[in-house]
Amino acid sequence: MSQPIRVVLVDDHRMFRSGVRSELAEEAADGIEIVGEAPDVETAVSVIKAEQPDVVLLDVHLPGGLGHGGVDVLRGCVAQESQRGEPIRFLALSVSDAAEDVIAVIRAGARGYVTKTINSTDLATAIRRVAEGDAVFSPRLAGFVLDAFGAAAGEIAEVDEELDRLSAREREVMRLIARGYQYKEVAKELFISIKTVETHVSSVLRKLQLSSRHELTTWAMGRKLI
Amino acid sequence: MPTPYTRTEAPPAAPGARPRLERPLAGRWLGGVCVGIAEHLGMPVKGIRWAFVILVVLGGGLPAYLFLWAVTPESRTVTALDPASGAPAPVVGRALAGLQRSRQGALVATGVLVAAVGALIALQAVGLDVRASLLVPLLLVAAGAVVVWSDLDAAGRARALDGAGSGQRGIVWLRIGLGVTLAIIGLTVIATRGSSPSVVVDSLLASLAVLLGLIIIAAPWALRLWTNARQEQEAAARANERADIAAHLHDSVLQTLALIQRRASDPAAVTTLARSQERELRSWLYGASVGHDETLAAAIASVSHEVEDLTSVPVELVVTGDRPMEEHGVALARALREALLNATRHGQPPVTAYVEIGPGGVEAFVRDRGTGFDLDAVPEDRLGVRQSILGRMERHGGSARVRRREDGTEVELTLPALEGAHA
Repeated sequence: MSQPIRVVLVDDHRMFRSGVRSELAEEAADGIEIVGEAPDVETAVSVIKAEQPDVVLLDVHLPGGLGHGGVDVLRGCVAQESQRGEPIRFLALSVSDAAEDVIAVIRAGARGYVTKTINSTDLATAIRRVAEGDAVFSPRLAGFVLDAFGAAAGEIAEVDEELDRLSAREREVMRLIARGYQYKEVAKELFISIKTVETHVSSVLRKLQLSSRHELTTWAMGRKLI
Repeated sequence: MPTPYTRTEAPPAAPGARPRLERPLAGRWLGGVCVGIAEHLGMPVKGIRWAFVILVVLGGGLPAYLFLWAVTPESRTVTALDPASGAPAPVVGRALAGLQRSRQGALVATGVLVAAVGALIALQAVGLDVRASLLVPLLLVAAGAVVVWSDLDAAGRARALDGAGSGQRGIVWLRIGLGVTLAIIGLTVIATRGSSPSVVVDSLLASLAVLLGLIIIAAPWALRLWTNARQEQEAAARANERADIAAHLHDSVLQTLALIQRRASDPAAVTTLARSQERELRSWLYGASVGHDETLAAAIASVSHEVEDLTSVPVELVVTGDRPMEEHGVALARALREALLNATRHGQPPVTAYVEIGPGGVEAFVRDRGTGFDLDAVPEDRLGVRQSILGRMERHGGSARVRRREDGTEVELTLPALEGAHA
C-alpha cells in the first residue's frame, strides 16, 4: 500500500492511547499513521468527521454519548467515508469479554474485535486487515459466534446464504480461529487460500450483523440496542 | 429498668456478672417480663410470677407489669439459655416455641381480664361499691393499649427473627383497629359517666371527629417523616454498598497494585499478578464463576486459571457450550490440565485452548508455539503424556492425539456424548 493507513484512536485511558501509539510506531513505522485521538464519544465523532481516517480503533466502553460507549460512536459516524472514499472501518478494542458488549459493537458495524492484551504485531496486522475491508476475529469472538449460532451444538445451515446459521465451512473456519489459528494457518489446514478464509470470516461477520437469531438479539438487548 | 453497667453483648453471664434486663423470647408466658426479671436477678421464675399475680390482685401490679413491659427491650440475641434443658436448642425453633406459649398465655390473660370485669360487675350488682363505672372503662383502655402495643412488639420480633412468623398485614390492621376501638369506648365511657345514651353517642361521634381531624392534620407530617426515614435507609444501604466495593477493591486491586510496584523488576511475576487479579475482578464484576466446578465449563476454566498461576504463562481459553460435571468430565479436565502444563513448560506462548462441549461429545484443543516434541521419542517410563493424557482419555471412552505442527504442538482430546443425552 502506497499511502499509510490513517488511524484514529478512541479510548478514555490516556495511558492506553500513548501505549498503543508508541507500540505501533515501533512495530510498524511504515504503513500505519495515527492521525487523531479521542477520549469520549463526542470528541470521537468530531475527530473522525474531521480526519476521515481509514480505521478507527474503538474502545467498547467510553464516557459520553447516550451511555452506550463505542456503539454511540459507530452510530454517530454512519455513512462517513475515509479520504480514499471508502467506508471508515472500525476495529473494537476491549478489556471486556462480556458477550453482550462484543456482540453489540459488532452488530453496530465494527469490522472486528480484539482484546487490549493483544501484542503490537497482531494489532498492526489486524489494522491492515480491517483497512482492506476484511474482518478480524479473536479466538474469543469466534467462540461467541459458535455459541450464538448454535454451531457448537451442531446446527448447520443448509444454504450458505442462510443468515441464522453458519455453513459447514464457516463453522470449520470459526473453530480453527477459536483454537488460536492465524488466517494463514487456517488456510493451510483446510487446503484453501487465505483469500477464501477472509471471505468466510467476512460472511460470518455479515451474518453476525444481520441475523435475527434469538441469542444475538438478546445479547444486543442487554445493551439496549433494540 | 435496664442497668447501664451490664451493657455487654455476652448473654450467658459469667458468674458474678448480672445478665442484662431483657425480655427473652424463650420461656415467656405473656410479655416475657417475669422471665427477664428472674434471669436478671437470678431468682426462680415461679416466685416472680406469683409475686406479680399477688401484686395484680392487691392493685398496682398491672401498671407495674405494663410499665416494665414497655420499657424493657426485647432480647435481640435469641440465644438466651433455656433453664429447662440448658443445652442450646435450635434458636429459632425455641423462640417460636416461646411465642407459642406466649399465645396461650395471652389467651389465659384475656380470660382472667374478662373474669375480673365480670366479678367487678357482679360485686357492683350485689351492692358493694367498687367503682366499676370507673374501673371497667380503665381496663378497656388498658386492654386496647396492650393490643396495639403488642403489635409493635411482634413487629420488632419479626425483624429479629428475620421474617420467621412475621404477622400478615391484615392481622396487623385488625389488631390496631380493635385496640383503638377498645380505647375509644373506654375513654368515652369514662367521659360520659352517668349521662344518658344520647349524650354517650354524641360524645362518641365527637371523639371520632376529633380523631379524624387529628389524622388529617398529622398525615402529611407523618408521611414526610416516613419518607425521610426511608430515604435515610436507602442512603445507608447505598453507603454500605459503596463501603463493600471499597473494601473489595482495597483487598484485591490495591493490594495487587502494591505488589506489582514492589516486584516491578520481575516481569513474569508482574504478569501473573496482573492476570490473576484481572480474573478475580472479572468474576466479581460479572459473577461468572459462581457454580464453581459444578459444570464442565467451570471446571475447565478453573483448571486453566490454575495452570496460569502455576507457570505464569497466559492461557487464552475459549469454551463453548456446557454440560454437568461427571467422572468423564473430571478425567477430561485433568488431562487438559496436563496438556496445558506441557504446553506452558515446553512450548512458547501464546498458549490457546479451545473446548467445544456439544451434544455429540466434547472436543478440546490445546495449542502452543514451541518446537514441539516427538511422542515416539518420549521414553516409556515418562508418565506425563502417556498416562495422564492418552491413557486417561482412553479409559474414559475418549481419545487423545498429539499433532506436531511446524510452529508448535497441538493436543486434541475428545470425549463421547453423555449417556442418556440426545446425540
